[in-house]
Amino acid sequence: MEGEELMERRVSREDFLKLAAAAGGAGLLASRAGAADAALARLAAESGRLQVMDWAGYEVKPLWAQYLKKYPGQKPKFTFMTNEANAFAKLRAGVRPDVFRPYVGYVRDFAESGFVQPWDPKLITNLKYLNPVMVKAGQYNGKQYGIPSDWGFDAILYRTDKVHPKQKSWSLLFDKRYGGKIAWYDDLSALVWAGYYLGFKRPYNQSDDELKRSQKLLISKKKLVRMFWSSETDMNNAFASGDLWIAYAWPNDWVTMKAKGLKVQYMHPREGPLSWVGMLMLGKGSPRPQHAHAYADAWSSVQSASWLENNYGYGAANLKARPKSSDLLRVLKLTDPNAVREPNAHIDRYVPRRAVYARLWEEVKAA
Amino acid sequence: MVSGRRKRLDLTTPGLLGLPLAWLVVFFIVPIGIVGAYSLDVFSIYPGKHPVTWSGWDDFFHSAIYLKLFWKSVRLSLLVSVIVVLLAYPVAYFLALSGTKRKYVLLLILIAPFLTSYLLRVLAWKVILGSNGVLNSFLFWTGVRSHDDPISQLLYSKFAVVLVLIYVWLPFVALPIFVSLESLDRRLLEAATDLGATRWQAFLRVTLPLSAPGIIAAFLFVFIPTVGEFVTPSLVGGTSGYMYGNQISDLFSTGFPDWRTGSVLALFLLAVVAVLTGVFSRFLGMRQPTA
Amino acid sequence: MDAALSKNGRRGLRGLFGLVVVFLYAPIAILLLFSFNDSVLPSFPLSGFTLTWYRQFVTDPDLIGALETSAIIAAISSVGAVILGTLASIALVRRRFRGKSAASALLLSPLVVPYVVLGISLLLLFHAVGVPRTILTVIIGHIVISLPYTLLVLIPRLEQIDVGLEEAAYDLGARPLDTFRLITFPLILPAIVSAFLISFTTSFDEYAVASFVVGTRVTFPLYLYGALRFPSRLPEVLAVAVVVMTVSLLVVIGAEIGRRVAERRLGSLAG
Repeated sequence: MEGEELMERRVSREDFLKLAAAAGGAGLLASRAGAADAALARLAAESGRLQVMDWAGYEVKPLWAQYLKKYPGQKPKFTFMTNEANAFAKLRAGVRPDVFRPYVGYVRDFAESGFVQPWDPKLITNLKYLNPVMVKAGQYNGKQYGIPSDWGFDAILYRTDKVHPKQKSWSLLFDKRYGGKIAWYDDLSALVWAGYYLGFKRPYNQSDDELKRSQKLLISKKKLVRMFWSSETDMNNAFASGDLWIAYAWPNDWVTMKAKGLKVQYMHPREGPLSWVGMLMLGKGSPRPQHAHAYADAWSSVQSASWLENNYGYGAANLKARPKSSDLLRVLKLTDPNAVREPNAHIDRYVPRRAVYARLWEEVKAA
Repeated sequence: MVSGRRKRLDLTTPGLLGLPLAWLVVFFIVPIGIVGAYSLDVFSIYPGKHPVTWSGWDDFFHSAIYLKLFWKSVRLSLLVSVIVVLLAYPVAYFLALSGTKRKYVLLLILIAPFLTSYLLRVLAWKVILGSNGVLNSFLFWTGVRSHDDPISQLLYSKFAVVLVLIYVWLPFVALPIFVSLESLDRRLLEAATDLGATRWQAFLRVTLPLSAPGIIAAFLFVFIPTVGEFVTPSLVGGTSGYMYGNQISDLFSTGFPDWRTGSVLALFLLAVVAVLTGVFSRFLGMRQPTA
Repeated sequence: MDAALSKNGRRGLRGLFGLVVVFLYAPIAILLLFSFNDSVLPSFPLSGFTLTWYRQFVTDPDLIGALETSAIIAAISSVGAVILGTLASIALVRRRFRGKSAASALLLSPLVVPYVVLGISLLLLFHAVGVPRTILTVIIGHIVISLPYTLLVLIPRLEQIDVGLEEAAYDLGARPLDTFRLITFPLILPAIVSAFLISFTTSFDEYAVASFVVGTRVTFPLYLYGALRFPSRLPEVLAVAVVVMTVSLLVVIGAEIGRRVAERRLGSLAG
């Protein structure tokens, strides 16, 4: 702890000098992100700990226990990302993790961003046990940018004692009878499920007209929605306390609510749920690529995968892992390696017009 | 010799003022300029060449969505400010004019909560207002309401945002009103009643007008920051309590980044605030230091 | 008769004052109550008394780390704000020059700028210059925020002090720096302490600007905001809340009393 603080102070002094020069006008344009990179890389290299930027809940030890077998006593250092946009913002601000986790829809975005470099598949010994569909999804331009790890669905969680859906459809998310008890996920993927509900051919790449209709649907139904959740535990809290009866949710949320004794059902809509796969990525210029590969390998191990399935109710890319509960197997359709993609589910993919989708979603929130 | 000394040698003034002014120029004025640059696409988060364009501003004024959101925030802020002032005035009146012996102590007791943590006070309400929160569980426990039927629209609503903001600002707002009432010359009131006015008339004709600067200052102290507020709405507002400040924050940090639109929204807010401040500056107590 | 209030009026207003005080302190009292409650969820009925949450908070390294980070940032930024504020207020009160109203307007303007705008503008500045976000960037932002508060405290105090005292010192041959050190500074010391404390509490509690310019090290408000999303951490957060609020209340009240006492005693000197 102390050593890191010393280093942070040392970096701070250097940056302070840099700032002073900038303020003097001399370095205003000369200071480059490169200098910041170097400062941070120095900090990281000196401490020798793997810098991992991950989603909340994924920092727990059993998920990467195999890494400690290879590098005993060297616990990674964790910072958190709340979503890919947040990760982008942090990367742009100069945070340089060695490993971080965007999801499958963003593989191309990050591959092209200049912030990541491809993995060396030879160094990931567990790669051969991973679901080939998912492994392929992590590739771009023939290089392996993402190592698949966790996977699951985006579908609808609802309380069976309070809610009686008229049909298995995305329309439950705007069922008039339950206004004020519904939560949507705060993400531009709302335009995607709206697109599937409206029956468009390619909801991940809608035309202007189609986008307008999707947006219109969302705006018109917004008044039924109690909250747009961005933190999973925020939504879980509200669900557990009875503020919500219906939520756009992930399989883990079903597990969590069941554990709290609520009567819940996780419904795959007939238009098809969305599905996602976590993709571990390697930071460009990482000074610790060997450590990073070992970390990814640990995540790909059967032990990690089994723990993930048993405790978080998420699927794992490793095909050899099996959850203890058959309930979970059923809900997650973990027996079928193709469950994650068409025609069973709509796997997240690159959205060519992501900026437009984002803008339209922000307008939905503002409306 | 004496006159020369009275007008202190002005060569030291730049030395004194230089550093504070420079700090603000570099870390306040220049950044706002940079925001302007982003709003015009002079800078952009996307690499590569791009022409300077007004389309960010164009979209803002033509889309109606952002202006509607701004107007919604203004309405909520007005509501909060009016209620807070209406509550604070009688309280300040009591402290200033009732002749209680410990008025400064009571004033301090009133203001003290404002000086503790803002986030923690919002947290307290989050704990109180939920469907299974303190208030509702109390109602279940005492049998007033059944377990299946909590008062659910308390949290994640416009109501929650307004309530919490009133709670946050009330202590602070009493201060300017108190100050202006305290400096009121009681003899004016006594003269009015000697001339036959009732207490009410004396209040309406003497006290109220003379305390008007304090009222306006109080109102502005709440209104101006609240228009751009985003922390409370993000914690207790839900979808309906979403405000203009949230949109700005989302465009920069939590949502998919759109720095150009975010900069336009931020500058618009700043412009409105600057105009309000300029027009009402004499009420805000930002008087020139005399020397 | 009392021209301002009738007997009933006084009773009514006293009642209103009481209600308002109850309204203001009730949520704080509720936090206090549930910080000792033996349950993860704050709800009625109560589950029994426990000190677990306090023990948990004292041994939670992330939480303690966040408190330390905030304290460091608050201390450094307050020193900076007070130094800049002292310089500026001397210039504004003791010097005559053109553009004084413009200068004071500029120095006070961060007061009226919404924090969200301040936050993003600094984010963009640091991004443009290529400076990574660290506690240094937060300190910079907090100095900007606190500077006007220091002026609001120091300027009235400086105006109170009779210029004649400083003039006398010059007459006796003292140099400006000595005059400041021996005459001015001791007399404005209570105000400086006040200004420091106001800046400290402002910075310690500041979330909005920090959320945009903080790097990997988390400040206390940011930690709080994040912890609000974890139900199991909630009672621990309540315990922290109680402690922080109590401390800040005591500090603020103590400081205010101290300042009045000190100024009254010095008042006879300042004339």
